[in-house]
Amino acid sequence: MAFDQPACHTCESTLVSRLFCFSCNALQPFPREMDFFEVLGFPVSFEIKSSELEERYQELSLELHPDFYGLAPEAEKLLSETASAILNTAYKTLREPTLRASYLLHLQATKQKLDERSLPEGFLAEMFFLQEELDELLGSGNAVDLSAMREDMQNRKKDIEADYAPLFKKHEEQPEDSGILQQLQTHLNAERYLRRLLERIPAAD
Amino acid sequence: MAYSEKVIDHYSEPRNVGSLDKSDLNVGTGLVGAPECGDVMKLQIQVDPETKEIVDAKFKTFGCGSAIASSSLATEWVKGKSIDEAMSIQNTEIVEELSLPPVKIHCSVLAEDAIKAAISDYKSRNEN
Repeated sequence: MAFDQPACHTCESTLVSRLFCFSCNALQPFPREMDFFEVLGFPVSFEIKSSELEERYQELSLELHPDFYGLAPEAEKLLSETASAILNTAYKTLREPTLRASYLLHLQATKQKLDERSLPEGFLAEMFFLQEELDELLGSGNAVDLSAMREDMQNRKKDIEADYAPLFKKHEEQPEDSGILQQLQTHLNAERYLRRLLERIPAAD
Repeated sequence: MAYSEKVIDHYSEPRNVGSLDKSDLNVGTGLVGAPECGDVMKLQIQVDPETKEIVDAKFKTFGCGSAIASSSLATEWVKGKSIDEAMSIQNTEIVEELSLPPVKIHCSVLAEDAIKAAISDYKSRNEN
């Protein structure tokens, strides 16, 4: 599954994206198993410049669009549709930090079994308490306190997200330390609960 | 998502929502969570110190209808059972009773975990 820079099947130029050749504009027959990084043509790493990701997505999106394969043979039409769908899924996953972190963790945690329920000490009890408090705030319609809680939770979520990059970097530098990936899993678990809580708080007007 | 009639019943009229006194030695409290969906479930049991039978149970769940129904059902089922009997409640029985679809099976697992956590808490606080 490693992307060892395959060549275009038409002109043999090095492929940037596994789906499409920018040199000769040929759709590529792609393997069933690809990772989202090779779909978009980025190294497998957490750090991605969002402007570059956006640009690459737009380029590929345009090239793969089924509308441009209207007169092409059936097989190619189908390929462009499938490629577009995969492209969209890959893009959605890589552009959002938590989805990207979760996906990358899944790719990299091959040598260890992660505890998928791990949470920081006391976190679950705190979440339960906050959910109860939220029930009360929603019942009383206290907009000020609701807004304060929303801001609090968003900040905590941001703090967690800010940790993804340094942890992945640490893992790259110390791949033998199995605790680092577990820390990431714990972060992602915590983020999920915070997100659920936030979903219940109505957005500020 | 189509909920079964029983899930809808438990969701609209949940049995045993509430709290027991956490500090009471005859009470066991289980707090469990499912990170895949962020559900949080608290289940408490009141144990008769003489007969060791569970005489009351309460729950509070923040989650989807299936999670609420699973924990509501769990509190119904543990009442009148001995601790050992309650320990042997399987999530598969909850799945069957509520006709839970595959994507909601984890809710029943959470309810089974909550029962076990409550019992474990009771036991650890009553080790003489």
